[in-house]
Amino acid sequence: MTAPGSRQLPGWGSPAMLLAFAFFGTLPLWIERVGLYRYLGVEILVWCVFALGFNLLLGYTGLPSFGHGAYFGIGAYAMGLTQFHLVANLWVGLLAAILAAAVVGGGVALFISHRRGIYFALMTIAFGQMFFFIASKWTSVTGGEDGLLDIRRLPADLGPVAFDLTSNLAMSYFAFAAFVAVTVVLWRLTHSPFGKVLRAIKQNETRMAYLGYRVVAYKWASFTLSCAVAGLAGGLFAMAQNGAYVQVMSLQWSGVVVLMTLIGGGLVSFWGPVVGTVVYFVARDLLGAYTESWLLWFGLMFMLVVMFKPEGVAGLWQDLAARRAARRRARTGALQPAAGD
Amino acid sequence: MDLLVTLGPHLLNGLALGLLFALVALGFMLVIGVMEVINLAHGSLFALGAYVAVALVSAEGGLGVAVLGPYFELPIPARFVVALLLAPVVVAGVGMVLEVCLRRTYGRDPLYGLLLTFGAALVLEELIRLVWGPTERFLPVPASITGGITVGGLIYSVYRFFASAFAVGMILLLWLFLQRTRYGALIKAGAHDSEMVRALGVNLTRLRLLVFAFGTALAAVAGIVMAPIWGVRPHVGVDAVVPAFVVIVLGGVGSFWGAVIAGLLVGLVVGVTGAFATAWSLVSMYILLILVVTVRGRGLLGKKSVLER
Repeated sequence: MTAPGSRQLPGWGSPAMLLAFAFFGTLPLWIERVGLYRYLGVEILVWCVFALGFNLLLGYTGLPSFGHGAYFGIGAYAMGLTQFHLVANLWVGLLAAILAAAVVGGGVALFISHRRGIYFALMTIAFGQMFFFIASKWTSVTGGEDGLLDIRRLPADLGPVAFDLTSNLAMSYFAFAAFVAVTVVLWRLTHSPFGKVLRAIKQNETRMAYLGYRVVAYKWASFTLSCAVAGLAGGLFAMAQNGAYVQVMSLQWSGVVVLMTLIGGGLVSFWGPVVGTVVYFVARDLLGAYTESWLLWFGLMFMLVVMFKPEGVAGLWQDLAARRAARRRARTGALQPAAGD
Repeated sequence: MDLLVTLGPHLLNGLALGLLFALVALGFMLVIGVMEVINLAHGSLFALGAYVAVALVSAEGGLGVAVLGPYFELPIPARFVVALLLAPVVVAGVGMVLEVCLRRTYGRDPLYGLLLTFGAALVLEELIRLVWGPTERFLPVPASITGGITVGGLIYSVYRFFASAFAVGMILLLWLFLQRTRYGALIKAGAHDSEMVRALGVNLTRLRLLVFAFGTALAAVAGIVMAPIWGVRPHVGVDAVVPAFVVIVLGGVGSFWGAVIAGLLVGLVVGVTGAFATAWSLVSMYILLILVVTVRGRGLLGKKSVLER
């Protein structure tokens, strides 16, 4: 686990990244053995992509958006609409999903990136709700409450070979490929000077402005990038679900991604959103098997996390690691202070 | 002129809606002011108020009737008044529990308060579903304030007159409370600089608890008055709390009359849009918000506040 706040060597990866790739890469092979199903793996990967992009905004830049479901939804609709009205090509669809969400998100960011704290959060809610209502009422384009149905999983055409994605196994691997790509890009981004500026803005926006950084431009870029990633995730979700539905754009679903990101520890770790997404979906399936009102228990769990351990699962892990390191140091009697993590 | 006459009922609808939005927003704003917390559970407490009122007024639903048999022999108007008085107290109790949970987030990033109340909103909504079921419920209204009156060939709903008048009364009472009482002064001072209030020897912990309870009670009152207009669904809270956000940002955080004016503006815009394009009436308020905030960054009457950190 690596903390957004800790010093990093710039690099392309880490042991945790290899572990995550090994876990999700082999997931389709064993997920059915542990009593779950392959589609769940697809869902987890898609939401991991969404949450990772969201955490660029929440965990790294410190900006809470409660309307991010809107950009996820826009990506899903863009995927379907290009397929129906433009050209039935997977890559064009995904590109359209990313671009549509980035353009809309970039436009919204123009209005809100000079805002701070609670004002920022309230404005993201307002914009998110606006897109939600537009999507639910603009029936001729979005299908309204019924959603955009029959979105096909087009084959992934790589020139000489083309993969059929209609099975959930193939879709798992495709979602995994997207997850790998997004992880590597975001990892590079967050460990670049750009990422450092974002973290500094999270700590003290005013100071960064006095230091001469164009804070508003950085916040704009962070918001737009996370919207683009949300759009990609939305496009993938439209493939997975064979449709695009307006529910994901609601305030509640926008909140769910915040919940996932936080519960896993997005505030202190790059991997927090991934952990949180897995926890959320596994909890949904396990608790959901016992009780209709699983969200009640999950909500209570979430409240306890915020009250007692807002750094989430990743924070607990870091505490344990720090304690272990301290004990080892005490045992070996080493005098030199521990260097970073 | 003809246009204005045909718009009449829609203007009334908008007025009632706007005043109730303002009422929700004011409760919400008290909490933001003193606690610097955006209470995302405000809408769920609004819904809870409506449900508790349904339980107190409607004889359907079993449990209440079995326990409080003789109570349900009271006429509906009496039960309606009891609900208006008692349901906010019950909801304020729930609000107090939430405030105690919130104490752990004071002095930390305001994000945590926001997230905690988001979790609370989930929990409350699921609890409502669990207790009252997912289907829509109805709040019986005394016959004296139902029905319609016909003016110039158009039907005006009597209940909406009642709702508007009630909301105006509540808003004025709240204003008098804030302007004329010692506690009102403390609340305003707490919103301005809570640490200084504590330094002057005021029990800030108790002040916060009471303000939170008071704010949630206002949400519950608005929920009850809104119930006959909107119906009572577990999800109704979101429909109320999001316009309240809009009203607050539009009016300017921390401005009492800003919230009232913004509430009226939002209500009227929603009402009038509803007359021409029903489907788009709920989008109109966001467009209004974006237009106003683009020109006036802090809303209509907003001043620079501590919340912009």
